[in-house]
Amino acid sequence: MLPLHMFLALMKKELLALSRDIHGMVALFVMPMVFIIVMSMALKDVYTPSTKSLSYAVMNQDQGKTAKKLLERWEQDHGVALALPENWQDEVSAGRLKYVLVIESGFSRLLDNLGSKGTAKVRLLTDPGLDNGVFETNRMRLAAMVSQLRAEGLVARLPDKLGAAALIGDAPVAAERIKAGPRPTAVQQNVPAWLVFGMFFVVASIAGLFVEERSCGALTRLRTLGAMPWQLIASKIIPYLLVNGVQAALMLAVGIWLMPLIGGEGLSLEGVNWSALLLMLFAISLAAVSLALAVACLVSTHAQAATLGPILNVLMAALGGVMVPLFVMPAVMQKIAAWSPMNWSLEGLLDVLLRNGDVASVLPEVGRLAGFSALMLVLAFVLFRRRV
Amino acid sequence: MLSIRNLSFRYHVTKVAALDGVSFDALRGEVLGLLGPNGAGKTTLIAHLSGILPIQSGEITLDQRSLAAERSSKPTRIAVAPQEYAFYPSLSVVENLACFAGVGGLSGSEKNTRITECLAFAQLERYAAARADRLSGGLKRRLNLAIAMLHRPEFLLFDEPTVGVDPQSRAFILQAVKKLARDGGAVIYTSHYMEEVEVIADRVVILDQGRVLKQGALTELLGASGTQLQLAVEGGYEERLQTLLAPFGSVTRQGVGVQLTLPSRRSFTSVIATLEAAGLVVRHARFGDANLEQLFMSLTHRSLRD
Repeated sequence: MLPLHMFLALMKKELLALSRDIHGMVALFVMPMVFIIVMSMALKDVYTPSTKSLSYAVMNQDQGKTAKKLLERWEQDHGVALALPENWQDEVSAGRLKYVLVIESGFSRLLDNLGSKGTAKVRLLTDPGLDNGVFETNRMRLAAMVSQLRAEGLVARLPDKLGAAALIGDAPVAAERIKAGPRPTAVQQNVPAWLVFGMFFVVASIAGLFVEERSCGALTRLRTLGAMPWQLIASKIIPYLLVNGVQAALMLAVGIWLMPLIGGEGLSLEGVNWSALLLMLFAISLAAVSLALAVACLVSTHAQAATLGPILNVLMAALGGVMVPLFVMPAVMQKIAAWSPMNWSLEGLLDVLLRNGDVASVLPEVGRLAGFSALMLVLAFVLFRRRV
Repeated sequence: MLSIRNLSFRYHVTKVAALDGVSFDALRGEVLGLLGPNGAGKTTLIAHLSGILPIQSGEITLDQRSLAAERSSKPTRIAVAPQEYAFYPSLSVVENLACFAGVGGLSGSEKNTRITECLAFAQLERYAAARADRLSGGLKRRLNLAIAMLHRPEFLLFDEPTVGVDPQSRAFILQAVKKLARDGGAVIYTSHYMEEVEVIADRVVILDQGRVLKQGALTELLGASGTQLQLAVEGGYEERLQTLLAPFGSVTRQGVGVQLTLPSRRSFTSVIATLEAAGLVVRHARFGDANLEQLFMSLTHRSLRD
């Protein structure tokens, strides 16, 4: 049994030492917060591309009714066009104008008259640096509008008694996300990603403090006072679980309240299963602290602690989908990512925050993280006995 | 009484005997000086007494009970003031005391009382709120001492407690160590400073290469090691000088002069007379009992700092 007073004294010491480690505090609390803010703002348009805000102009060489109708409909969706500059091709090439719609002469006649022949087109000419997704979205929308106009032209020529007008309506297509979870926004993706990254940063703090107490002889003194290796290891787990808990609360608060204040979208916890969220956070924290203890027992010097911890973190984050979303990785990298504890952590959190996952749905990730924690704790114990 | 019998230990890596049949006792009410050059086995011995290293062969007992049994039932009977600053540098003096007091089993008002007493004992009251890493070397040593005192240990091990401290703090620590022994504690004291050990130790144990070379009461050891006569003769050291002194005792060269160890407290006047009769002029002569450093060097053929 671990006597309570011994445990409390060790826990208090750990929290006091951490609170005076300014670099550690910055790495644990400020760094992930900054990452959430910066990355959410930077990636805002990746998750919710705003085609409305793109600057564009129109060169209408046609002046027909159908061309005008097309432009009206385009303006409804994409905002008012800017005046066409004389050197518009240079402007588009330089990215100052994102695209120009060129409606060639004869476009309306081609659409209005059945059987008329011609090569007139509406052309979408874009900035060479325009994001692929945005380019494709605009191209598809333009194609859909032109098809609609052609269909309307055809229907207008049919006798009324056929009731063909009824054929023209909304296309029988519906697209929706299964389950009514929060919409995937940059904040919704970045908060869990950088929260996981920040939680695993306890590796650097624990390893640094552990090396210090070992090198100054304090750990030996604790052993002479009767503290057993497992007691010393256990006494480090709970304080850092608490630290991870505070980190999680802070990062969620940043997502919910701070992001909307600075122009980002707010994190939504609507419909979130709290039991599943708390279970995931506990499993992630245990994995992070266990890894930290194993690293702490492995390294011998401050320099090793200061380099190995962050390197390990950044590698796991890069492989685990924290820095680069998993869905953009090639298949091989996705297979490698499946071995990263940060990936299990992130997927579990995304299950809860985006897919409204319940406790049962996160159990596979929780199980993997628990297994990893057990392995790391055994390793920490073995190394600790050798070193102290 | 702390008793060590035939203690031997080999490290797995080097396979060299760090301790080889070491036996001695540390008694309540006395300071035992433990001396030995680097690699003599002092650190290994202290690690055994601290419970850090398991006993491979031999026995350590506290009042006839095995050390392991005592450590598991009441680990705070033995306290160690290690060579390093064994406390948390980012914590304040009082936070360090509270941490180690709690780990050692103190709580509530008893804990607070002991912290106050130990602060007073080490004269650290003014620095209670100061961060440990901002204390001077001497104050850090005093904090080390205060932490060791927290649980009223009966057996205290001091490993080089005065390294790097100012003369004032050194005098304070030596006084404190003597007081602990006077109050009934058994103190084992290791130091590289022979004059310190000579001042505070009642008995000494000299270790080298894992073995006890000599042990006993300081006065007896120094008395038994003969009388020293240090001479500086005009013209310096010569073969003839050695030949003239050899019948009186063992002669060793010492700088530009010689050191003659006389087997008993016989008068040195006959030595001087012999030299003068041979036409040699004695420039300087120093006569008296051997000191601890001379005893140590004669036993180990090394300086303590080697």
